[in-house]
Amino acid sequence: MEVVTCLNPSSTGSAASGINAAIWQDVLSQAVTGEMIAVLNYSSLAEICTDPEEVADALEHADGERGHAAAFAAEGAKLGIDVPNNVGAKYWKRLRAAFLRQIEARDFIGCLIIQEVMLESFAVASYKRLGQVAPGTMGTTFASIAAEEEDHIDHAMAILRAERALDAQRFDNKVYALHLEVMTTLAQMLARDDKDCGCELCHGGCVKPMLPNVGLTSSELRGASLQHYLRTLDALGLPGEMTLAWVAQLPV
Amino acid sequence: MPVDFALVGHQESWRAASDVLAVLRGPDHPPIPDDEVPEILPWIPPRAVCRIEARSVLGAKAHGLYIDSFIPPDRLDPSFLRENLGRVRDAAACASREGAKIVSLGGFSSILIEGNLDRLPEHTGTAFTTGNSLTVAFIVQGVERMCALEGRDLRSSTLLIVGATGDVGSGAARCLAPRVKRVLLHARNPERLQTLAAELRMAGAWVDVAPDLRHPPACADLVICAASLASPSLLLEGIARGSIVCDAGYPKNLSPGSSGARVFSGGLGQVTAGMTFEPDIQSVLYHQPVPHVLHGCLLEGIALALEGRFEPFSQGRGLITAERVQEIGAIAARHGIHLAPLYHGDAPMDLAACQSETPVG
Repeated sequence: MEVVTCLNPSSTGSAASGINAAIWQDVLSQAVTGEMIAVLNYSSLAEICTDPEEVADALEHADGERGHAAAFAAEGAKLGIDVPNNVGAKYWKRLRAAFLRQIEARDFIGCLIIQEVMLESFAVASYKRLGQVAPGTMGTTFASIAAEEEDHIDHAMAILRAERALDAQRFDNKVYALHLEVMTTLAQMLARDDKDCGCELCHGGCVKPMLPNVGLTSSELRGASLQHYLRTLDALGLPGEMTLAWVAQLPV
Repeated sequence: MPVDFALVGHQESWRAASDVLAVLRGPDHPPIPDDEVPEILPWIPPRAVCRIEARSVLGAKAHGLYIDSFIPPDRLDPSFLRENLGRVRDAAACASREGAKIVSLGGFSSILIEGNLDRLPEHTGTAFTTGNSLTVAFIVQGVERMCALEGRDLRSSTLLIVGATGDVGSGAARCLAPRVKRVLLHARNPERLQTLAAELRMAGAWVDVAPDLRHPPACADLVICAASLASPSLLLEGIARGSIVCDAGYPKNLSPGSSGARVFSGGLGQVTAGMTFEPDIQSVLYHQPVPHVLHGCLLEGIALALEGRFEPFSQGRGLITAERVQEIGAIAARHGIHLAPLYHGDAPMDLAACQSETPVG
């Protein structure tokens, strides 16, 4: 298991209370953990890049993601709640392991597909929804980080489009293999029937059934994430009927 | 494989939407629980769902796509107009990206596009048709066949058209007004209604306006419902007993109940040389008791593709004429696309025809 850290252990505010504070604590935990996974992924990516500019880009992205994690933790502090993160938590550990396999294979394209197409789709879409319902500056933070994440995908998309142009069938097969592992895990994280909540991040009961208290549902987060993912695959040129079948087969 | 045509549609019920998702999930995955389908479907961006091969009796084949706009079945009312226009436009753009030479906009999609042609993708080399001319052709043919089956004389009938100012309703009115004794028109927009009535009178038809369907005209013995009704039983109970009723609305929701009306599903055609869907969602998309049946609006795109006429045959609103209806009917017939056997639900209206018209495909 990788490190479990608390980014704001000394926060003592009391702006949030009761059930909503507990909900935001769990939501922020997921966000901070996702950002920390991105820090680790970009750092690993830098190690296999050969082009100095790509190395610099990866390290810059890692820094950016670290800043996002700190920003989410700071939002927790404003509400008077600690925001633990756990990159070794069940689902996130699986996602990190999938990425590390691409690193071991020194598969730069595989890494981009996981991080930029799959994990970022999940992050951007979720943050956008959270930006609409989160109170005060937390909403602004979610919205602005969603916009930043969306901005840095362009470079990766250009690389991926060029790669697909070389051999579309091979590229699509690779995306599908990674989809089966990564998107299945993300879908399980948001599945309504994940009643046991094995996410190992919720500090009490599963936060998913509680989300309507803050104007959100896990179905909405899942739907928005998968919609963003499908649109990203469309932009890469993958056939729509094929990607629809992929998504239709994910756990619900 | 070149894409000759694309059919843009959507599901008319949650049941149908569930069935489509079940086919896409395949036999190795349990179906999505019914109560989760409404939480999933609205998020799906418009896209191709399956590939289609349509065959002509002349031996030609046309290859196409079915593109679902994924308009949720409970969001067909005007309050979702903007959202739905966006979905149809995205579906049309999807068809253009796929290189479709002609696109039929089916069901609610055609209603949305009738008056919004500026919202179609530009400069794409793709022709768009509402498909309403062929729908009208099959409605007219269905009325003729039902009258023949029931031993009715069309010339002595009083025809009530509900949804008369829409593209399909007004097209049916132009085709049938000169052939019946009297026409009664009903629609929500009184100005358009009067304009249509005046046009038909100028052509020599006896035309009146039926202002209130809560008190349906008892003299009507032939009815075309070109729009779905909120309270269909009121209409069926009010018209002449034993009336012939063509349910041409979308979705089709007329049930004869105790009215004695002879209700049949109108506007449907059959590709007698057959069609192949991959994945095979044909039976899911169209719950018809006979194979290779689609709505006329979708079949118009297939007929034009088989004919090699990639042109916007039906566009705009209220422009369908009897001549154009005859022309598209002839094109379709040349390729073996004919009026589907008449049914209401699973009940055949003409058993002999249903048994004799088994397609070859």
